[in-house]
Amino acid sequence: MTTIIDRRSSGTRSTANQERLQRRVRARLKHAVDRMAGSESIEDLARGDSPISIPVRDLHEPSFRRDPEGTPWERVLPGNKEYQRGDLIQKPEGGAARQGREGSPDGMGDDGVAIVLSPDEFLDLLFDGLALPNLRKTAQGDVQSAQWRRSGFIRDGSPSLMHVGRTMRAARARRLALRAGKHRELEKLQETRNTLHDEIHERRRCGQDVSLEQERLQDLDQQIAALERKIRAIPFIDETDLRFSHIDQQPHPITNAVMMCVMDVSGSMGETEKDLGKRFFLLLYLFLQRHYQAVTIVFVKHHSTAMECGEQEFFGAREGGGTLVSPAILLMEDIVSRRFPSDRWNVYVAEVSDGDNYSADNAIVDERLREFMPRLRNLFYLEVNRESESDLFQLYESISQSFPGLVTARANAREDIYPLFRALFAAEEIPNHA
Amino acid sequence: MPDFLFTDNDWTFARIDAVNEAIATIAENELQLDTYPNQLEIISAEQMLDAYASIGLPVYYAHWSFGKQRAIESGQYRRGEMGLAYELVINSNPCISYLMEENTMTMQTLVIAHAAYGHNAFFKNNVFFQQWTDAEGILDYLAFAQRYIARCEERFGIEAVTDVLDAAHAISRNGVDRARRPQRLSAREEEQRREERERYQEQQLLEIWRTLPPVPGGGTSGNPSHFPETPQENLLYFIEKHAPNLEGWKREILRIVRKISQYLYPQGQTKIMNEGFACFVHYHILHSLHAQGLVTDGTLLEFYASHTAVTLQPDFDDRRYSGINPYALGFAIFQDIKRVCLHPTEEDRHWFAFAGDPDWRRQVHFAMREFRDESFLLQYLSPKVIRDLHLFALRNEPDAPHYAVSAIHEDSGYRQIREALARQIADSTHPPDIQVVSVDRWGDRHLGLRQMDTDPLHQEEAQRTLAHIHTLWGYDVCLESGEFALCATTS
Repeated sequence: MTTIIDRRSSGTRSTANQERLQRRVRARLKHAVDRMAGSESIEDLARGDSPISIPVRDLHEPSFRRDPEGTPWERVLPGNKEYQRGDLIQKPEGGAARQGREGSPDGMGDDGVAIVLSPDEFLDLLFDGLALPNLRKTAQGDVQSAQWRRSGFIRDGSPSLMHVGRTMRAARARRLALRAGKHRELEKLQETRNTLHDEIHERRRCGQDVSLEQERLQDLDQQIAALERKIRAIPFIDETDLRFSHIDQQPHPITNAVMMCVMDVSGSMGETEKDLGKRFFLLLYLFLQRHYQAVTIVFVKHHSTAMECGEQEFFGAREGGGTLVSPAILLMEDIVSRRFPSDRWNVYVAEVSDGDNYSADNAIVDERLREFMPRLRNLFYLEVNRESESDLFQLYESISQSFPGLVTARANAREDIYPLFRALFAAEEIPNHA
Repeated sequence: MPDFLFTDNDWTFARIDAVNEAIATIAENELQLDTYPNQLEIISAEQMLDAYASIGLPVYYAHWSFGKQRAIESGQYRRGEMGLAYELVINSNPCISYLMEENTMTMQTLVIAHAAYGHNAFFKNNVFFQQWTDAEGILDYLAFAQRYIARCEERFGIEAVTDVLDAAHAISRNGVDRARRPQRLSAREEEQRREERERYQEQQLLEIWRTLPPVPGGGTSGNPSHFPETPQENLLYFIEKHAPNLEGWKREILRIVRKISQYLYPQGQTKIMNEGFACFVHYHILHSLHAQGLVTDGTLLEFYASHTAVTLQPDFDDRRYSGINPYALGFAIFQDIKRVCLHPTEEDRHWFAFAGDPDWRRQVHFAMREFRDESFLLQYLSPKVIRDLHLFALRNEPDAPHYAVSAIHEDSGYRQIREALARQIADSTHPPDIQVVSVDRWGDRHLGLRQMDTDPLHQEEAQRTLAHIHTLWGYDVCLESGEFALCATTS
C-alpha cells in the first residue's frame, strides 16, 4: 500500500535553526558587518547578497575521536595499478598533507561557514543598538495627527449614521426576549384550557353538572386573550434598539519622513569630501527607512546659491564660486512649507560641508536656522576633511545649545563615518530599552 | 505487450502512481521483498536541504548546528559543488521516501525502486535495524522530542537549552548501548514515564547523594563500594541517571538525544550493505521494467548514467577519490553474491559454501538480513570483487619514511585485504571506547573516565569534549587515556 503526498507547499522549516545559528555567531556577524560597512559599498551590502563567512572553529562541535597522526594503521585503497606486495611509497613531505586530507571532523576542511543575511538581518546588525535621537525625547517619537476612525457602535447619533444591521439585530433580540416568557405561559394556559374543554365535554356526555368548569373555562379564555394581546403589543422596533456607527478622532502616528540632503558643492569640496558625504547620507537613509514606512529624499546643493536637484547631479556636480549656507536654508524652508508641512511629515536634514562659509553669512544662517529648527525632527551637520572646527561648525554648536535636535559631527576619512554614525545614534541613553 | 508507463520525462502524480504499482509487483514477485507500506512525499530542493540538515529526519528539534549544516550545504549546492541526493528515506512505518520535484520521471522511477523498495526492505528485515530501532514509534517520538525541547526553551531560555544540547551532542556517539537492545519507543509512554520521573524526582530530591546514616555497630559509610561497579560505556545514559545536580528537564533532554542517537546507530553500522542492497534492488527493477517493455530505451540509458555515477569508485590517485564509496562496494558485493549463486567459478566454490545455490534470492536475503558492514565484508568480500576494484592494503608506521604495500589482489592477499577493510570500516563507525570507571560519591564527586581501547585520542578534541561533560556533571571530570590524563575542573 502506498500513499503519495505533495509536501512542496509546506515550506521550509529551517528558520528556527537559522535563527539559533545567527544568535550564536551574532558577535562575529556584527563585527563582519561593521567591517564591511567601513569598506564596501553599503548599497550592495544592504541588498544582502554578499554572504558573511564565519570561521568553522567558532562553530566547532567537539567529540571524542581518534587522532590519525603518529600511529600505525593499515588502510585499504582502490585502484591499484602497479604496486606489488612489499613496495614502499615515499610519504609526502612534512606530513602536513596528511592532515589536510583528514579535514575537520565536520568534513569541510578549513572553509568558513557562509551565512547569507537577508537585507533586514543585515540592517538589524548594522543598526543594532541605535535609535533616533529625538525618539528618546517624545514618548511616541513621531509626529502625531488626529484621524477620524470607526470605533464601535453607540445608542445615539445622527440618523445618517444609523447602522441598520445592528439595529435590526438588537430589535430582534429584544422581541425574542420579551416574547419568550409570554409564549411559554400561553402554551401552558392553552394546554390547561384544552384539558378542561375535553373534561367538560366528557362530563356533559355523562350528564353531569359542568357550570363550575364552564366558569373556569371562560376565565382561562380571558387570560389567553389578554396574553395574546400583550404579545401582539411588543413593538417590531423600539427606540432602544437603535444603533449608530461611532466615529472618533484618534491620534495616528505619521509614518512618512522626508530626508533633505544638503551639500556644499563649491570648488573646495573635492571627490573625497563628497564620498564622505555620500556614505553618511546613505547610512542615514537606510536608518530612517527602517524606522518609517516611507522616506522621501530631497537633494539640495548649494554654493553661493542653492537649488534642488536629482541624485546624479547632486553627487556629480562640481561648481565653482564662493559658499553661502543661508540660501540653502531658505530654500529648504520653502520646500518644507510647500511640500512637507511639519505636522504631517517627519523632516530630517542632513548637511555635509567642508565648513566654508562667507563670514558675513553666518549671522543670517544663525537667524534663519533658529527659526527653521522647530520644524525639524533633527538636523545633522557633518563637517568633512577639515583640520580644525570652522566658524560654521562653532555657530551650529552654539545653536544646538538651544536646539538639541541639531547634531554636529566631524569626519576626515571613510572609516570614520560608520563609527561616527554609531556614536551619533547610540541608544545607550535610553533607560531600560527592554 | 503493455504500453510504456511514460515516454517523455516529466513526472506527474498519475505516472508516479503507475510506476510505483509496476515496481511493487516486481519487488514482490521477482525479488520477494518484504517492505513497510510506502509513503512517497514530493518535496522541493529547499526542503531537501532542510532534511539534510537534520540527518534526514522529518521532524527535529531546533539547534544551531542544524542551521550550520544547512548553511554549509546550501552554500555548496548554490556553488554547484554538491548535487543533492535524489532521494532520502526514513526508517519508519510507513516508510517515508522523499522525491525531489526537480527529478525527471526516470529519476523518480529510480528513486522509488531504490528507496521505497530497496532501503525499505532493508529497514524492515535487517536484524540490526529490527533490534535497535523502532520504525513504528520514531515519528511520534521525534514529534514529542521537538515539542518537549520547544517547551524547555520557553521555560528556561534558548541559551540554557542550547548549552545542554551542545554538551549532549558532543557525547552522543558515546551514548549508544552497543551490547544491549534498547527499549521500544512510544511517544505516549515516553511522556507518561517522563512525568512519573519528574514527580518522583521532585519527591526524592538528590536522595542518591545523601550521606547514609551511620550503620549501627560502628563504622560509617566511609568505606564505599566502588561505583559504578563495572565500567559503563554509555556516557549519556550514565550522566542522565547519575549526575549529581542536574535538573530534571536537562536529564530529559539527554535522554532525547540518547534515544535519537540510538535510533540512528544502525544506519552508520550498515551503510555499505544498506546502499549496496538498495542499488542491487533498483538495478534489478529497472532492468525488469525495461524487459517488460514498460520503460523506453531512453529511460534505461538515463538510468545507466545515474547508476554508474552513483556506483563509481574512483581510484585512490583520482582527484575525485574520497575514500571507499559504500554504494560501489555494497553494490559490487550484492551483485557478486548473485553471480556466485548463478555462475560460480572454481575459486568461488573454494571460498563460499553457498556457491551454485540456484536460489540466489535466498542468499541475497540472508546476506541482507543477518549482517552489519563489518561482518558482511568479512563474510562476502570475494576475490573477484577485490580484483575488480583493484584493492590493496597500505600500512603506515609513523616513524618510517615510507608507506608499505602490505597486500594486493593476489592469492596471498585476499584475506588480509578483507580483514583490513572490515577493521577499517568498523573503526570509522565506532567512536573511541570511553567508559565511566569511577565516581567519587563520598568525596569531591569527580567523574573518572577511561579510554578502553588503545587508539590514540585527539587530545584537543577530547579536552573540549570533557568541558562539555563537565557542564553536565557539574564537578570535576577526568579522562585517562594511555599515557596521558585530561581533566576539566571547576574553576
